[in-house]
Amino acid sequence: MDYSNQIRDIAAKLFAEGKIDVFVGYRMSGFDDNQVPVVITDPKETSVLVFTEKSVFNLTNYLKADHTRNKRVGLVVKGCDSRSLNLLLTESQVKRDKLYIIGVACEGVVDDKGNKMQNCMECFIPDAVVYDEMLGKLQGKKDYIVNADITELATKGLVERREYFEEIFENCIRCNACRHSCPLCYCAKCCIDQETSTLYNGTNTSSSAFHALMTWSLHLAGRCVDCRNCEKACPSHLPLHLLHKQNEKVIYENFQNHLAGVEEGDRGAFYKYSLKDPDDFIM
Amino acid sequence: MARVGVFVCFCGANIADFVDVPTVVEEAKKIRDVKFAIDYKYMCSDPGQQMIRDAIVQHRLTSIVVAACSPRMHEKTFRKALSDAGMNPYLLECANIREHSSWVHQKDKKGATDKAGDLVRMAVAKSIANEQLHEISVPVTKRALVIGGGIAGIQAALDIADARIPVTLVERSPSIGGRMSQLDETFPTLDCSQCILTPKMVDVASHPYIELIPYSEVIELDGYVGNYKAKIRKKASYVNFKTCTGCGACSQKCPVKVPNEYNMGIDKRKAIYTPFPQAVPNKPVIDAEHCTYLLKGKCGICAKVCEKGSIDYKMVDEVIEREIGAVVVATGYDLWDATPYEEYGVGRYKDIINSLEFERMVSANGPTGGVPVRPSDGKVPKTVVFIKCVGSRDKAKGIEFCSKICCMYTAKHAILLHHKVHDSRAYIFYMDIRAAGKGYEEFVNRAQVETGAVYLRGRVSKIYQKGDKLMVRGEDGQLGQEVEVEADLVVLATAVIPDKGNPALARLLGISYDKYGYLSEAHPKLRPVETAKAGIFLAGCTQAPKDIPETVAQASACAAKVCGLFAGDTIKKDPMVSTVSKEFCSGCQNCVKVCPYQAIVTEDIPLGHGAKEMRTVAKINEGVCQGCGSCVAICRSMAINLAGFTDPQIINEIVAI
Repeated sequence: MDYSNQIRDIAAKLFAEGKIDVFVGYRMSGFDDNQVPVVITDPKETSVLVFTEKSVFNLTNYLKADHTRNKRVGLVVKGCDSRSLNLLLTESQVKRDKLYIIGVACEGVVDDKGNKMQNCMECFIPDAVVYDEMLGKLQGKKDYIVNADITELATKGLVERREYFEEIFENCIRCNACRHSCPLCYCAKCCIDQETSTLYNGTNTSSSAFHALMTWSLHLAGRCVDCRNCEKACPSHLPLHLLHKQNEKVIYENFQNHLAGVEEGDRGAFYKYSLKDPDDFIM
Repeated sequence: MARVGVFVCFCGANIADFVDVPTVVEEAKKIRDVKFAIDYKYMCSDPGQQMIRDAIVQHRLTSIVVAACSPRMHEKTFRKALSDAGMNPYLLECANIREHSSWVHQKDKKGATDKAGDLVRMAVAKSIANEQLHEISVPVTKRALVIGGGIAGIQAALDIADARIPVTLVERSPSIGGRMSQLDETFPTLDCSQCILTPKMVDVASHPYIELIPYSEVIELDGYVGNYKAKIRKKASYVNFKTCTGCGACSQKCPVKVPNEYNMGIDKRKAIYTPFPQAVPNKPVIDAEHCTYLLKGKCGICAKVCEKGSIDYKMVDEVIEREIGAVVVATGYDLWDATPYEEYGVGRYKDIINSLEFERMVSANGPTGGVPVRPSDGKVPKTVVFIKCVGSRDKAKGIEFCSKICCMYTAKHAILLHHKVHDSRAYIFYMDIRAAGKGYEEFVNRAQVETGAVYLRGRVSKIYQKGDKLMVRGEDGQLGQEVEVEADLVVLATAVIPDKGNPALARLLGISYDKYGYLSEAHPKLRPVETAKAGIFLAGCTQAPKDIPETVAQASACAAKVCGLFAGDTIKKDPMVSTVSKEFCSGCQNCVKVCPYQAIVTEDIPLGHGAKEMRTVAKINEGVCQGCGSCVAICRSMAINLAGFTDPQIINEIVAI
């Protein structure tokens, strides 16, 4: 999977035609063969753009930054990235007419060691669902598979599971990198940081980390697209996907096979009402 | 430092029998911020309220907790007591130890007492974070909209207009009058329905404060109490009402014949028609579904005979807007279709009719000139069987409720039958006779004694044809044996159901309705006229089956409510509404989606101080917001707070238990 040349050409063309002010893509890190995101405003710099199976980051995260706000942006999206873009569009965070989207029919990306990422192996929407231009051979939709880690987690009892998470979250240093790397965490001021939020109280105790991460995961429940930006950003290497994949499974089973961002106009399972929604908790 | 006063009520035996009230007081005294706690037999009584007023002054209290019944019951009473003592009324907190504790834990006094203590602790904790709130004033547009021009709508419109408040009366059909105009005589006095109704109809047309918009429908209602905006579609009548004199030449000459709705389809009307002679306004309309000219472009006879040139085939539907402050819904009733009663042969035998068809036949201006006839051969029936509760009180086939009016009008029908056909006899199959009302029981007795109507207590099991007669087989429960009546005509008192457009109208108005389609009142006993949505009221059979006196009473009650609402220039509204902290709002607009009252809109604000770039945030219309809290729950940024139920208040409550 290498679309570097096509993307360079498209970006150069878009700048030449004056269709965009900014282009968000990937470049080589300069230290090793890994890639980092790059925000290009100078048309001459388009030659640094690359796209291979090392292009792991979800670039839609950069749409909430100041240097892209209210500007015309070109960007590259894979299947998962395009789903988070769909959510950003319905949640009024970006305007469709300001975007030029290069969709990629993604064959899966790899981790540092060159192994295919776990989320890519379980990916059910490899092709971008929203785009202006499509690169690569379409893979088609696949079936939803429950994550192997979640199947394992389900064997634990409730108390055991809580203890397990509490133990993991002991290592959280409350740096909030997960939040900053998440494309869907765009709040002006996170509820966890607000002065009135007595539950999180700004301290770095295991209890506050537990509450903060649980709140975060619930705010992403039915919205998380499993791009794993958070896990890549976490300096403590916490298995954050466990929270999101567990939520995804519960929602898939209870909310008519809802999967976040797949359909245009999707707001996430908790933000729409259907007569078929589960109500067995009501007496 | 908070100084909380706790007042625990015995509520006679209601609370005291199952909750140890003195213990609750002792528990309350142990709470750090509680400076005063006391119990009393009836806190809502005047001496009880005086205790609160005195304690506020004596102990310099900063917030009050009343542990008594549900806040729905007496929150307002106690708020008033607070403001009488010079305290902001919203510093009150109610702990509901009756419905939430004593009534539901009658077998466990200790448990109930402990729970009451917890409820008090929660209320005290919440009250410490209570803020001073002030009522919101909303301006009022002093015009009422009445939907439906039957007797309910007419009465409501007249009563409101008599108070010099402008009324817009919208009627779907070409004339006002509704079901009552179809009735012959009315129980229990047997006065002529048209004779008492027509003067009121004329009053509506001539009243300076009533704007009558016939042949039209409400298609949209926006806004909130005191400030609604209604869109009304005036259906094209193809007749210029301004020049039309109502001479009737067009109807006479029109060649198209259509079943006449006013006479329940017994005879025919023309495609250009006035529904009935006393119609108000007495102007014809063209039925576009049947007019040859409008369908095929040929004919045009009505235009030729009209001396005034009032026929305008090019007329189109028109949408008009009215700003109004309150709505009275009076859409009336319909009769249930008895087709599921297959054993009666409904639909198969022509001589089975429903009560409104019978009503039209015995009516002097009806299709048969006031004489009942058999639809099959036009002969005057001698033996008529009336069957009550067809559909009503029948879980299996129809409807569970009692239609209320059938017992009385069937007695009336027996009397009318006797008046019109002297040698006839009425047989009435009934389940019970429900004649509760002034002069009603006497009226039923009159039907039995004066006309010799035979009342048979029992259900009809089968109707079958024998020659030109209908054999009605049923049970006489009092004799305990089967009876069979050879009938010329069978009249079914079918269930009263609401207008079939009710669910759609309810959704349009944003009010609720029950499983039958009846619109729901706010409280079945104490607020029978209001709906849950402020400023929308119900009159007549749109809410439940009713007879004429009750309908008129409810319509007048609606008028009183509307006049009360319009008494001042502004409406006072509870300050429990949501507010958006713009700095925290990220503009995702989930709140806009979940708000059931359409109270949230968006606005653009500068990105930063003095910035030219804009960002979108949510904005709440205080007038529309009902304080349900859906937006608060949905907001991830915690940018929305509901006054009276802020996060610190709720968290305090949770921490207290």
